Amino acid sequence: MTAAAEPVVCFKRFSYRYPNTDFYALKDINLTLPKGSFIGFTGPTGAGKTTLIKSINGIIPHVEGGACSGQVLLKGCPTGNLSTAEIGRLVGTVLDDPEAQIICLDVEQELVFGLENYGVPPDEMEQRITTALSSVGISHLRHRSTRSLSGGQKQRLAIAAALALLPEVLVLDEPTSELDPLGTEEVFTVLKQLNVKHGITVLVAEQKTELLARHCDQLVILSQGEVALAGTPREVFKHKSIYHLGVALPQVTELALRLNGGRCHLPITLEEGIEFCRALVPGGGGKLCNRSLT
Amino acid sequence: MQPLIDIKGLSYSYEQGQPALQDINLTIYPGELVALVGQNGAGKTTLVKHCIGLLRPQTGRVTVCGQDAAKTRISHLARQVGFVFQNPDHQIFHDTVQKEVAFGLQNLGLPRDEIEKRVAAALRDVGLQHLAQVYPHRLSRGQRQRVALASVLAMQTRIIILDEPTTGQDSLERLQIMELVRDLNREGHTILFITHDMTLVARYARRVIVLCQGRVIADGSTRDVLSQTQLLAQTLLEPPQITLLANRLNGLLTPGSEVILTVDEMVEHLHKVNGGSIDGPCD
Repeated sequence: MTAAAEPVVCFKRFSYRYPNTDFYALKDINLTLPKGSFIGFTGPTGAGKTTLIKSINGIIPHVEGGACSGQVLLKGCPTGNLSTAEIGRLVGTVLDDPEAQIICLDVEQELVFGLENYGVPPDEMEQRITTALSSVGISHLRHRSTRSLSGGQKQRLAIAAALALLPEVLVLDEPTSELDPLGTEEVFTVLKQLNVKHGITVLVAEQKTELLARHCDQLVILSQGEVALAGTPREVFKHKSIYHLGVALPQVTELALRLNGGRCHLPITLEEGIEFCRALVPGGGGKLCNRSLT
Repeated sequence: MQPLIDIKGLSYSYEQGQPALQDINLTIYPGELVALVGQNGAGKTTLVKHCIGLLRPQTGRVTVCGQDAAKTRISHLARQVGFVFQNPDHQIFHDTVQKEVAFGLQNLGLPRDEIEKRVAAALRDVGLQHLAQVYPHRLSRGQRQRVALASVLAMQTRIIILDEPTTGQDSLERLQIMELVRDLNREGHTILFITHDMTLVARYARRVIVLCQGRVIADGSTRDVLSQTQLLAQTLLEPPQITLLANRLNGLLTPGSEVILTVDEMVEHLHKVNGGSIDGPCD
């Protein structure tokens, strides 16, 4: 990937096997994730997305056990040599099931919990809590009981709790799986802001490729524990093997591939899809191509 | 035709006082395949919980298969209505997939060979037959979701309600689950599914009910409802990307402003507009 920025996370020939299993959940992963990047991980269930995320935040090897070979480096230091507390200061985590992550009775306490653990002074807490809640749009829920929140609200709370700790890297495992479409949009907008304004590296496992197409610098497709494809979203979507990898393309991309097999500047967003269709139609305002494609 | 689910004047508030449902009137008939959509907190789950007796109406009346849901025992309702929870971990508690799926059937008092037959068939339907002896919490979220689905399928209820059945599934699994749902519907099951995935709504639902802040703001055929972009935005929903694309191109591509629901329809439409030949743009 981009050579200019220093890598914040680096996988070197990393393989991992869960305890009591005889197959590798990750096989010989080599990835360099530059600081400040926004990278999407996708692929079918069981491809290793969650395992990859857990290898970045230190759950593997510190908590899960199992066997690994190779290394995961955080800012040059192998995760095996760092404590989970040290990793936690660098990497914020949002799990796919917010209920597995939320432990406090009310929303405010949930944010305070992490801050107290890291010894953040009380007068700094207020600012962090307010910012974190408002950046995910749940300021009004500050004094609500966590049990009374809807699935989507819990998902936002889990993100806010990670944000309050001001991580350099945010790893998220399908953070929008229970959100409505505009809620999903909001979360990605928040992630993009954190990425662009604050330089936070965002690493997100996500199935919604229409979102990934718009927001990611790089897309990594995992399949059966291996990196199957990596590159910009457009490069990846153009690849022929994409159809066999269980990845749903953005509908505009699928449309273009169906119409001319991708022998064009492949549209990956709605706006690009509109341009693409205009160019198809005589008098549509786009540049016409006279080659007839089947 | 006698409705299977009949909801009249239903209102409900949780302890916080904010009404979660306000004056809901809905009728679901046998054989329907209905999507229930709306933003987080719109009241979707609260509404369906009234159909299985997990919540009792504070105001109004819910009738399921002719019985007043407020007065019918949950175990009786469970024979009529199967419910797949949004979070499979709220539902899974046994130590093997096989036992999990068999649990409801044992409660029905079915003979052992019938139970075995139904469990095997349900696991085959969701593609988990090879994992029957596995500890469910060793499975991925997507697989656990299918375990929960299998345990409801095995009950062979007339009505099946699914709360976000495709959460945590990849694109192929999502389609597999929805194909299965459509097959069940064709075999005569009445289906109500909650989802945020408008692509799936467009492709599979025949009727769409839209909830917004505890009220029904639209109820109609999928094509009608998905054509109302403004109305959907009220409850933070958006039609599928291909529908938006077609809307934005209206006037350019159309004779007639057809509502496009799927990529297939769009391909066909573009061919029609171009008189059968598509010239792709190139760099």
